[in-house]
Amino acid sequence: MESRAAHFCSEIDKLHAKLLINVGVTTDWQRAEKEINHQEILNRIESIILEIVTSLSKAEAPVLALPNRSSWANISFDSAIGLQMSSRQSVTTIRADCPSSVTKFAQILKILSVIYRLVQSNSYATKSVCLHRDIYYNNTKLFGSQKAVDSIVDDISCMLKVPRRSLHVLATSKGLISGDLCYMEEDGTRIDCHSSSTAVSVSSNISGIKNIVSSAKFVMIIEKDATFQRLLDDDFCTKISPCIIITGKGVPDVNSRLMVKRLWDELHIPIFALVDADPHGIEIMCIYKYGSVAMSFEAHSLTVPSVMWLGLLPSDLQRLRVPKDALIPLTKRDESKLCSLLERPYLTSQPEWQKEMKLMQQSKVKAEIQSLTAIAPDFLTQIYLPNKLRYGGWI
Amino acid sequence: MLKEMQQVLRLIMLMGKQRQKLGLRTGGGLLLLLWTDTEVSTQKLNCTVNCTVAAAGPWCAGIQMEALQPALVRLKESMCPCVWPCNEPDPEELSAFTDLYGSLRFLLSFQVKDTRHCTSEWQAHLEAFLRTFTLANAGIQIHLKLKINQEASLREFSVKVKRRVALADQLLLTLDVTCSAPPPCCVKKGCWCVRGHPAIGGRLPLSIPPQTMEQGLFGDLSVQVVTLLTPCLLPYPNVATELTHIQVLVYNPSNIPVTGPSGFFQKLPAVLDCQELGLYRVYCSSFKDLVYSGGTVYTVEKDSWDDPEQESSLPTVQQSLLLFFFLQHSDPFTSQLTDLMATEMLIELHLEDILNNNRQALVAAVQTELRNTLKSQNHRKKQQEKLHAAAEVILGSSMSIVSSSSNMDFRNACLSRMKVCVCQVHDTHELAASLRESLWRVTSWKFVPKAKCFSTKMEVHPENDEPTTAEI
Repeated sequence: MESRAAHFCSEIDKLHAKLLINVGVTTDWQRAEKEINHQEILNRIESIILEIVTSLSKAEAPVLALPNRSSWANISFDSAIGLQMSSRQSVTTIRADCPSSVTKFAQILKILSVIYRLVQSNSYATKSVCLHRDIYYNNTKLFGSQKAVDSIVDDISCMLKVPRRSLHVLATSKGLISGDLCYMEEDGTRIDCHSSSTAVSVSSNISGIKNIVSSAKFVMIIEKDATFQRLLDDDFCTKISPCIIITGKGVPDVNSRLMVKRLWDELHIPIFALVDADPHGIEIMCIYKYGSVAMSFEAHSLTVPSVMWLGLLPSDLQRLRVPKDALIPLTKRDESKLCSLLERPYLTSQPEWQKEMKLMQQSKVKAEIQSLTAIAPDFLTQIYLPNKLRYGGWI
Repeated sequence: MLKEMQQVLRLIMLMGKQRQKLGLRTGGGLLLLLWTDTEVSTQKLNCTVNCTVAAAGPWCAGIQMEALQPALVRLKESMCPCVWPCNEPDPEELSAFTDLYGSLRFLLSFQVKDTRHCTSEWQAHLEAFLRTFTLANAGIQIHLKLKINQEASLREFSVKVKRRVALADQLLLTLDVTCSAPPPCCVKKGCWCVRGHPAIGGRLPLSIPPQTMEQGLFGDLSVQVVTLLTPCLLPYPNVATELTHIQVLVYNPSNIPVTGPSGFFQKLPAVLDCQELGLYRVYCSSFKDLVYSGGTVYTVEKDSWDDPEQESSLPTVQQSLLLFFFLQHSDPFTSQLTDLMATEMLIELHLEDILNNNRQALVAAVQTELRNTLKSQNHRKKQQEKLHAAAEVILGSSMSIVSSSSNMDFRNACLSRMKVCVCQVHDTHELAASLRESLWRVTSWKFVPKAKCFSTKMEVHPENDEPTTAEI
């Protein structure tokens, strides 16, 4: 039994060993990043307020300059980190005398005042935090949606050049996690993810997590909630034990990404991605691995460049002879997205991924993970994933 | 006398209109000399007023008095109480005029016996009429010289800012778009638009009522609406505006204002859909500061359930709307000057019937113009409310940080900054008040220069009537 398990994980162990060598090179650099102290955060917020007061004293309209988080022109790529914001970035100006931007100006100031209070109170050793939804529900008319709060907190983090976790404002999580993992939340709550039937919501305070205990051999990121639930239902974590599975339910939120990053930083075990064989799935996988344009200013704490593409590979569709009626033709949008992905800087260092994507381009079809049920109802958890893991079927 | 003067002006204007069609210039001068005879001046009961109308300048170039004889005969017939000819005017008066505009192209003198003309009230009416005339004929500089009962006065009706507009059928008008409203105190020098920007509305065909046709009025009759909203607040997009007065002015096809009250326009407010316009009511009023004679003035009241407390703190500029109704007529069988004059007199005589015959269309046209004007007003109000709501959050959040900060350098820096513009800001209460005032002023009176408000090409000399506006 033990030798069977050992054989099963041999490829994974080899990968683990290889990754550990590389971790020694990068870890020191990552740890060199300093935490910003609370007083510095307060000073940065105060300087913004002082600028506003100075503008008004000169009878000028106050203006906020936000680094542009949506432009590729502000992005540079480093294979060890991923997509990160350039030091010389363009800014978007938010004016207080323009009706089209004054509401955003007010929203930023409001959240700044909340952050200021939270950070200030933390200096007395009481860790006070606030959820995005609390800010939203206290000011629904001002913000309109919780998404607006999320976006502005990111803008503030980027503007102040302060990590999100240091702002004491936490986003609600949408991700789920399950498997061989135990940890303690900041408030002392002990979390055990071992349950086979139900998953645990990803914590809202990843930086507050401590005492992580796991003997998992790998982590599997799953794109969709439906696939995640399927794996739970099929008791995947028990059958392919020990492992951890996590999903961000589509495009991952920051907490899901932070969790994956935290697991990598703590455990240094292989991290695989199981996504649909379509451009959207590949893009989601790239977000975990290399980061996003919008959050590039915090790439260091969000990206896991060691993520491997386990499946569903376009070449799997041919190899497994997935029935044609389970395949979907690429739309114009898919083709455009695929071209855009192939031009991204991070793919130049991934020839195997490029090959798979070009195969998709040539075949002009895509497929969801669920298409494997066309071969057999439990093909995914009984055959596909075990074989992939056993024989090193990742790229 | 006013009627007679209108007739003479009609003749000159109709001649000018014919010449305009030939693409000739329309600027120039018009001299009106009115004087009483000295031998009867002491007997007011037998007051005789002599009137000389003279025209010179590019707009009259090519006119020959001899060719006008048939029209002048007709004119005299229509002005029968007048005495033809009358005493000649003082040549020196005329020479001063010709020095400015060149040789006279038109000269007509007549005499009227009427005690009313010797009163200051009548003079005020005359001046108001001439101002209204100048409003739509800004290219013509009018010199009015009065010597009534040995009291002499000289008035010049010249226009500071003109704008040429092209109506349908390539009809060109030069409008007086000068805005004399003083700038609010928050406006910096040189940052106030002193002109209005006329908006050309729709051209509405008018059907001629049968009884008017029986009197001899045929052809195509229409009205072109032009609106002029003043003062212009385009450079101040964040200031709220409030339409408080509307004045309707009607001009006949020769571009002479139609005087006298209009029953149709007086009853118009009753049929307007005020709810659709977001107004409480519109009613006919006598606007004390009436600058222009004739026409109908309305007072506009907005909804009374707006928040009075918020309203009092929000800067609002009151505006007035001028609605020009330019009547146009064409009849292929009417081309002689005499016939044109007769046609126009028919239109004026039966104007009420014509307006009533086209009530629905005219009411709809006015409703449309008001809606367009108020659209901008409502948009401004929404913008201002947005700014106001956001400003409260900005101030509250900023003061929350200042008040709770333990960084004395930061707090002192904030207080000292505002001390530059406000003499005494000792504590956060005063800081909050001065920040609020400054933020309000800065956001409400945000200045966005508009080329069409501050173009330097607007001033036009009388002898140069090239298009006056450069829309950059």
